[in-house]
Amino acid sequence: MEAPPDNDVMWARSLHFTHRDGSPGLAGVSLEVRQSEILAVSGPRGSGKTTLLRCLSGLVKAQQGEVWFNSAPMHTLGPMARERLRRDRFCWIDPAPVLVPELNVWENAALPLMLRGTSRRRAKVAALEWLERLDVGDRARRRPHELRQAERQRVCIARALAPGPTILFADEPTAPLHRADRAHVLRTLTTAARSHGITVVLATHDSETAALADRAVSLLDGRRVKTVHLPESPETEGRAACSLSV
Amino acid sequence: MLALRLTRAARPAVQLRRLLVAAASGGTGFLLLGALGYALGHPQTPGAAVLRLAWCLVPLAATVYFALAVARTDPGTRPRPGLSAVGLGPARLMAISALTTALSATLGSMLALLVFLHLRGDLTGMPFDGAAAQFLAADQPLPLPAALTLLTLVPVIASTTVAFALRPRDPRPPAKATRAFGRFGAYGHSAQRETFGAYGRFGARWRTAAGRKGTTPEPPPEVTDPRVTDSGDAGSVGAGSRGIASRVTGSGVIDSRATGPGITGPGITGPRLTNPSTTNPRLTNPEAPEQDADQADTPTHLPPPREAPVGLPWGIATIAAGLAVQAYAGRTTPAPDLTDLPVEAFTVLVGWVLTALGLVLASPGLTHLCGRLLQAVRPGALRLLAGRVLMGEATRIGRPLGVVCAVASATYAMTALYDGPTPTFGPLTTLGALVVTGSTVATLLTAATEARQCRADTTAALLRLGAPGSMLRSAAALRAAALLAVFGPLTLVIANLAALPMAH
Repeated sequence: MEAPPDNDVMWARSLHFTHRDGSPGLAGVSLEVRQSEILAVSGPRGSGKTTLLRCLSGLVKAQQGEVWFNSAPMHTLGPMARERLRRDRFCWIDPAPVLVPELNVWENAALPLMLRGTSRRRAKVAALEWLERLDVGDRARRRPHELRQAERQRVCIARALAPGPTILFADEPTAPLHRADRAHVLRTLTTAARSHGITVVLATHDSETAALADRAVSLLDGRRVKTVHLPESPETEGRAACSLSV
Repeated sequence: MLALRLTRAARPAVQLRRLLVAAASGGTGFLLLGALGYALGHPQTPGAAVLRLAWCLVPLAATVYFALAVARTDPGTRPRPGLSAVGLGPARLMAISALTTALSATLGSMLALLVFLHLRGDLTGMPFDGAAAQFLAADQPLPLPAALTLLTLVPVIASTTVAFALRPRDPRPPAKATRAFGRFGAYGHSAQRETFGAYGRFGARWRTAAGRKGTTPEPPPEVTDPRVTDSGDAGSVGAGSRGIASRVTGSGVIDSRATGPGITGPGITGPRLTNPSTTNPRLTNPEAPEQDADQADTPTHLPPPREAPVGLPWGIATIAAGLAVQAYAGRTTPAPDLTDLPVEAFTVLVGWVLTALGLVLASPGLTHLCGRLLQAVRPGALRLLAGRVLMGEATRIGRPLGVVCAVASATYAMTALYDGPTPTFGPLTTLGALVVTGSTVATLLTAATEARQCRADTTAALLRLGAPGSMLRSAAALRAAALLAVFGPLTLVIANLAALPMAH
C-alpha cells in the first residue's frame, strides 16, 4: 500500500456501497481531499454524490473500500467512534436547512460547539461572530420560522463553520435557493472556508457551482469519470420514437 | 377496502396500539352491558341503573380520547404527497382514519358481547358455577336491540370524534392584533389618547415592544425604512426612546400610541390602522387559504411554534372550585364516597370532574413551566434541548398528562387515603378503573410517540451534526424526570386535599 501524500487530509480507496434495498450507490470510487481545498463532487442527480459524502463523513459505512482521515483508518471504526469523529472534526450542511425549531438562531448556530463541550458564553461569542459574517447577525434572536429560506441556509452554514471543523461536507447547499441567494450563499461559504483554511467537500450538480471550487471530481452512476458528457444521440428521440401508437 | 389494506400492512407497534384501542373499547362495552344487566335485574330501582350508566361515561371518554390519540399517531393516515395525486387527499385520509378507528372499536365491542354472552351462559353452559349470574341477570332474556345500541356507542362516538378532529382544515389566517374597543364598546378604532403621565408609566414601553413583535413579526425588508427596522428588531425595553425617535423621522408625525405597531414607513400602514377586513387574507383574497395550504406543503414553510399555553390560571381556579365542591360534599356525615352509588355521590362526582378539568387546563402551562425552568440559567446543550422541546410540546404532552394526573389522584384518594369502612371493589369497578387508567396512560405514551414522530427530521439533523444519541436519550430522560418531579407531588397534593374532608 502506497503512503498517501502528506497534504491529503482524507483519502478514500475503491469505495463500494449498495443501498439497503439493493440499488447501487457507489461502484469503486477513489479520491483524495487535500488540506484546505474546496473540492467539488459534481455529477447529475442520482450519480452517488450524497452517498459518497455520507460514506466519507462516516454517516454510513461503505461495504468495501477504505477511508483514511489524517492517516488514520475510518473504515475500521465503530459507530460510536465515528460519531465522536463527526462531532469533533466534521460538519455537515444539508440541502434544505434543518434547524431546531425551538431554539433561536444563535442557539442553533452555537449548538455544535455546545455539543463539543464548549462553554455557553464562548459558544455564543463564536456563533454570533459567524452569524455576523454571514449577514444574519441581525436575526440572531429570532426563531427559525421567522426567517426566509436563504437566511435559514446561511444560519446552517454558520452552524457548520462555527466549530471550525477540519472538513466541512456540504451536500448541495444551494439546491432550494434562487440564483441570487445561491450566489450569495456560495460566496460566503467559499470565502469563509478559504480565509479560515477549512477543507470543504461540496456536492453539486451545477457546473457554475463547481466552478467556484479548487478542484472538481465528476461522478456518474457511482463511478468517478473524467467527463460527464454523455454521448450525444444523433437525433432527438422525439414523439415518434417514444409513442406507443407507432 | 383500502382502509383494510392499510390496516393490515402496518408495523407491530401500530398494530399494538390498535389492539389496545380494541381492548379499551371492549372493556367499555362490557361495562355498558353490565349496566344493562343491572337494569334488567333491578327493574324497581331505575335511578341506580341510570347512575351506573352515567359512571360508564368516564371509561367511554377515556376510550374515545385514547382512540383519537392513536388515530393521530397512525402512520397509515399520514398525508402522502404521492397518494394525494391519485386521489387519496386529506378528506379521504380522514375517512380512512375514522374507518380504522371504527374497525378497532367494533372488534372490541364484539369481543365484549361475546364475553358477556358467555358469562351469562347464553352460548354454552354457565361458566364459573354461575358466579356472574346474579349481576348480569342471567335469568332474564337479553334485549338484543338494547345491547347492540349500547355496543355501537363506542365505535360511533370514537370514529365521529376522530373524523371531526382530523377533518381537513385550511391553516388559520394570522392572528390579528389585540381587538380594541372604541367608546361604549363600538368597533371603531379610536386613537388611544395619551393622558397625563402615560408616556413614562411603568410597562408602557414594554407593551410597545411586545405588540410590535407579536403583530408584525417580519416587516417586508424592501418596503420598510431601515432606520426603523433596527429599532424594531431590537424589541427591548431600551429601544423605546430610539423607536420613538425613528418613528418621528419615518412618518413625520409623533405617533405615541403605546400598543400600535409603530414600524410603518410613510406609505405603509400597520395592521392596526387599517380596516380589519383588509388584513384578513381570507376576506380580501378568496384564494389565500389555498396558497397557505400550498405553503404548508412546501419544505420552505416552517410552521410557527405553538405559543405558550394560557390556561394555567383558569386551571388553578377550576381545581380550587372542584376541591371546594368536594369539601362541601364532605360536610355531611357519613361522607359519601366515590365507590358508593347513591345519589349523594353526585356532588363528589361533580367535584372530581371539576378537579380533572382544572388539571387538564393547568397541566400544559405547568409543562411549559417545567421546560422553562429546565432551560433557565445558562443552559448547556443538554438542558437547552430538553427544556425547549418540552416548552414546544407543552400542549401535546400536557393535556394527557393532566388526565393521567387526575386519574392517578382519584385512584390514590379512593384507595390509599380512604379510611372509612373498607370499600369493596366489585369486578365491574375494577374493570372500569383498569380501563380508565390504562387508556389514559396509553394516551400519554401515544402522545409522546406522536411528539417523537413530529420531531423525527430534527432529530435526524441533530444526529448528522454529530449529536450523540445518548445525549438525546438523556434529554428525553431529563424531560420525563422534570415532569415526574412536578406532577408526582401535584398528584399527591390533590389526592390529599380531596381526601381531607373525609378524614374529619
